[in-house]
Amino acid sequence: MKIKKILALVLALTSVFAFALAEFDASKAIAVVSREEGSGTRGAFIELTGVMKKNADGQEVDHTYAEADFVNGTSLVMTTVAGNEYAVGYASLSSVIHDDSVKAVKVGGVEASTENILNGTYPIARPFNVVTKGELTNPLAVDFFTFIMSLDGQAVVSEDGLVSVSTDQTAAYVPAGLSGKLTVGGSTSVSPVMELLAEAYTLLNPDVQIDIQATGSSAGVTGVLDSTYDIGMASRGLKDSEKKAGALATAIGIDGIAVIINPLNPVEDLTLEQVRQIFTGEVTAWADLGN
Amino acid sequence: MRGLFLASACVCILAVGTICVFLFANGLPFFRQYSALDFVTGTEWAPLRGVFGILPMIVGSFYVTFGALLFAAPVGILTAILMARFASRPVLKVMKPAVALLAGIPSVVYGFFGMMLLVPFVRENFGGTGKSVLVSSLLLAIMVLPTIIQTSLAAINAVPNSYYEGSLALGATHESSVFRAIVPAARSGIVSGIVLGIGRAIGETTAIIMVAGNNPRMPGDLLKGVRTLTVNVLMEMGYAADLHRESLIATGVVLFVIVMAVNFLFSFINRRRVVQ
Repeated sequence: MKIKKILALVLALTSVFAFALAEFDASKAIAVVSREEGSGTRGAFIELTGVMKKNADGQEVDHTYAEADFVNGTSLVMTTVAGNEYAVGYASLSSVIHDDSVKAVKVGGVEASTENILNGTYPIARPFNVVTKGELTNPLAVDFFTFIMSLDGQAVVSEDGLVSVSTDQTAAYVPAGLSGKLTVGGSTSVSPVMELLAEAYTLLNPDVQIDIQATGSSAGVTGVLDSTYDIGMASRGLKDSEKKAGALATAIGIDGIAVIINPLNPVEDLTLEQVRQIFTGEVTAWADLGN
Repeated sequence: MRGLFLASACVCILAVGTICVFLFANGLPFFRQYSALDFVTGTEWAPLRGVFGILPMIVGSFYVTFGALLFAAPVGILTAILMARFASRPVLKVMKPAVALLAGIPSVVYGFFGMMLLVPFVRENFGGTGKSVLVSSLLLAIMVLPTIIQTSLAAINAVPNSYYEGSLALGATHESSVFRAIVPAARSGIVSGIVLGIGRAIGETTAIIMVAGNNPRMPGDLLKGVRTLTVNVLMEMGYAADLHRESLIATGVVLFVIVMAVNFLFSFINRRRVVQ
């Protein structure tokens, strides 16, 4: 009986709040929700939206709004945005795409969808590349690469929240029974998914040892070119100088980040510049965005 | 038999010792690469650029703890007095288990309650995002209430009834006998309850991370976000590497030292009581 009464009270209270949420007032402050320092999603987001800028000394400085609400996890970003109609946050596209509790806005008129990430029109996305020196020749490296692009490898990629790149290569991977050691190095952002891939691969090829070094995209490219690494990792496209030196990049997946707002917020579309202004705190009210 | 008792006692001491050794062995190397003074007096926290200043978190921890006591100390002490000297039997029958239950609720449930009810309430009625010093302090206040109530109650009940009777015999009313004779006699017990509450509040993490906003800058007004020392560790441990990770363990060392200081204060007050 008591529990029923408490439940009724909680329900009544939540309905009061739900009612209060019904009217959107654009003059209210934007409640910015950001991830914690060190999060890969935050790193990619601030880089792609220009929230991170070089200062006079050439040092990259993160200009994330100091009054933002900092939470440590994708699900907490979503809960916070779902519970506050004035909130805006960001999360990996794969985690928001099937969730109605938040709304992903269009960025520069482009809807955040798997297709738009694949065709390159959605701006807040970056490729996770493997870098090789010309075509791969080492049979073990070739086999590992085949695994990554196979149905099994791409399943690992999607599970990690990336958009799978492979549309035609639907062949399942068949272990070739190789043995030996591979060294893979480069981007710290690509490393986590590469570790998952290596784990899945060595499960099928127990005699292979894959050593993964997280050193940064540029170090990954340099390492491949001077043969320190068999395969490099880069979370950006190659520079012309790197291409000229013989580096070849192949995307193994694409990391897309959606800007999410409360479903009650009437905003549908933001430019990349508006996204930057919101997350640096240059614009603090929804009405000041100036569409 | 004696060996069994000794072994049991050693488990506790061993645990404390291991934690101390682990914490200092892992946390102190950080200070070889980063000045301890810059660490505790720096106001900027940008670990990816190699800037580690935890003064905002130290201030933040004291800020929310002080705020919590501002609510919890008067409410807790008055509740204890009520339970000891004013409440009727049926009221006590409800209050005692309620206080015990309050002590037993897990932090994460408090956090959830704060996030789903207090945060939207403050946002709708006072402005801001709701995740604030105010909500953190309120939530902590509720969490330390049982500690303050139970310790104060024990102290008040320990005062000999002759104090009360003597006061009545001199012609004092019930109220003034309680407030002028009994409560002053239980003073040191009540103070140690408050100190225990400080220890609990300053170490709380899970509930606070859900309602504080966790901004790593000097805390502003009551309706703005705040980050405490505990939150700083929990928040960034997942992705931190190298010096960043060591800086978080060093944050733990600073917290440990603060909590130890509070505990020493507690035993100092207790010792004085024994002397009295």
